[in-house]
Amino acid sequence: MDFRLPDDVRQLGDAAARRFARLGGVDLARRAEADPAVRREAADALRDLGTDDLDVRADEEQLLAGGALCRAAGAVALPWPLVGQLLRSGAHLLALVDERGLRVDHGDAAPSWIGADLDGRAWLLTDLATPTTGKLGPFVRTGVLGEQIEPIAADDRARYLVLQAWTVLGALEAVTADVVEHVRTRHQFGHALADFQVIRFSLADAAIAVRGLEQLTKLTSWRLGTGDARGNLADAIALRLHASEVATNVLRVGHQFYGALGFCDETDLSVIDRHLQPVLRYPLSAERMAQSLIPYVRDQSFTSAIA
Amino acid sequence: MDFELGQRADAVRARLNDLIKTHIPQDFLGAFTDDPADLELTMEFCARLAEEGLLCIGWPKEYGGGDGTVWEQAVVREEMWAWHEPRGPQYMGVNWVGPAIMRHGTDAQKAQHLPAIAAGRVIWCQGFSEPEAGSDLAALRTTAVPDGAGWLISGQKVWTSYASMAGWCVLAAATDPSASKSRRLTLFLVPMDRPGIEVRPIASMLGPHHLNEVFIDDLRVGPDDVLGAVGGGWKVMRDALAHERVGIARYARCEALLKRVFDYLGPRWDELPEALQTRWVRALTQIRVAKLLAYVAVGGAGDGVDDVAASAARVATTTLDQTVAELLFEVMGGISLDAGPGAAVHGAVEDHWRYAQASTVASGTIEMQRTIVARQLLGGR
Repeated sequence: MDFRLPDDVRQLGDAAARRFARLGGVDLARRAEADPAVRREAADALRDLGTDDLDVRADEEQLLAGGALCRAAGAVALPWPLVGQLLRSGAHLLALVDERGLRVDHGDAAPSWIGADLDGRAWLLTDLATPTTGKLGPFVRTGVLGEQIEPIAADDRARYLVLQAWTVLGALEAVTADVVEHVRTRHQFGHALADFQVIRFSLADAAIAVRGLEQLTKLTSWRLGTGDARGNLADAIALRLHASEVATNVLRVGHQFYGALGFCDETDLSVIDRHLQPVLRYPLSAERMAQSLIPYVRDQSFTSAIA
Repeated sequence: MDFELGQRADAVRARLNDLIKTHIPQDFLGAFTDDPADLELTMEFCARLAEEGLLCIGWPKEYGGGDGTVWEQAVVREEMWAWHEPRGPQYMGVNWVGPAIMRHGTDAQKAQHLPAIAAGRVIWCQGFSEPEAGSDLAALRTTAVPDGAGWLISGQKVWTSYASMAGWCVLAAATDPSASKSRRLTLFLVPMDRPGIEVRPIASMLGPHHLNEVFIDDLRVGPDDVLGAVGGGWKVMRDALAHERVGIARYARCEALLKRVFDYLGPRWDELPEALQTRWVRALTQIRVAKLLAYVAVGGAGDGVDDVAASAARVATTTLDQTVAELLFEVMGGISLDAGPGAAVHGAVEDHWRYAQASTVASGTIEMQRTIVARQLLGGR
């Protein structure tokens, strides 16, 4: 039993965090909302970090390296479809989608995409330039299912969900640190907010949930290299379900303690929350994810065993 | 990164499963019953575990242990708790009293107590909680007044598990009531049949023998009974409580019960409302998380138990306990309250629900665990 990420992976994560900080951190996401072309800066930074040479399908260490990049990207709401890029096939980026409401985050950032549902059915996607104009997921684009192509392997769908979870983890770690700092410095009734027990307990629960998500994300990444494809996919769906539900709670706690300021885009919390929504909602909502796991419980492909 | 417990731990699990299958009846629900045969069964089983070198697997060989890894110890905790703790009341002595004596005891105390615990021959209880000192243990009022070379102890303990069965007690008393929290308490190792101790059981929803009051009246103790330093009790108690937070692998009972109920239902699992099936999915995931946090607490920080990680694990596993208890009651529906060996799954679901109610209270309340995590996160008290 060894919970530590490999040294190379940690170093890559640290390098990515430094590189994204040089872009302005969360400010890059703010600037991109004013001028979407700014997203090229994120793409350039990822290229500098060696993303093009990374093959997350090759082995556990490269998948973890992809996870480290996603974690660092999540922490600053990096405005780029990194998960889709890490799982590209040739020139096509990958997006897991729900054909009942096709949406792709940053769908306009690349010229060609493959969309696949959780069952693996896959299509070339077209007409991805139209924005949905929402505040939540400001780079979400509508699209159309084009030609149906060969199914996407279960392991790739699993990797996609796991990389999404690393992204969520990075975002939640950043949000927790941000809120902790806020409650330590913000005073009400003559006391720092951090002195109020209800706030201490709520943040303790949030921090424990994020710790748990970190370990589950590591475990699921590791298990991808050890199990069968069906079990791997079930593991990954369960992880994504858990990530979504932890995120909902942690973001709620963050907003509650930030007060009105937390809804303003001058706070990182507001920007991270808005940009994270497509990761949390696509390809499926949490409840639909849970429903999709029922057959895996029935045939024992998904259990509580970890090794 | 590696999430395998290792071949040695897997081998221990296989041996334990064989022993449980052979010696523990399927309807065994622990030693806290009105049937004295259940207590007897646990004593026999402990003796067998001791012979096999499994009872104190984590102890050093010199004290009768097995020099086992933290993962072998984790496996013992898991398999024992999954099958309703067939070590019965031995758990306390093995898990923390013995290790505390190894660390803080005199040579004479080690020679007297460790072989008995390692052989599964003695039951210990823990005289910490009092009517006015539950979570705030440092404020306990039981007092040891100097008398000759020793002390006379008077006071009252409460919620004392195993007290009615125990041969020995680790008793906390204030030797210097006006001193600071870290210096006012001393721990004593006291035989329960020494004059001055009276045990009264408390009827509770947890079942018989779980909770007791212990009345102490002019109990005579001497310097040889002191564990550690006079005035050094608080430090030993903190160590003990950190061990106790990870001492019960509650997630393992949840895991075993979900499996047992799944098998019991068979094809009827498909007929459950979808809302319950999705709760089941979430419970399985929550078990993974609780298990991982427990592993991080015992194995993530080198030697010993990481205090904050132990509290995080405790919050996760106790809330899981109650989540699974509610889920299984919903699943069992009209027969959920049926108790005893004749009930579905031998009454294990009803037993679990009752016991789970106390999980966020016992061994340090969930509020204390949150306090410890929050202190690291936010500073302050």
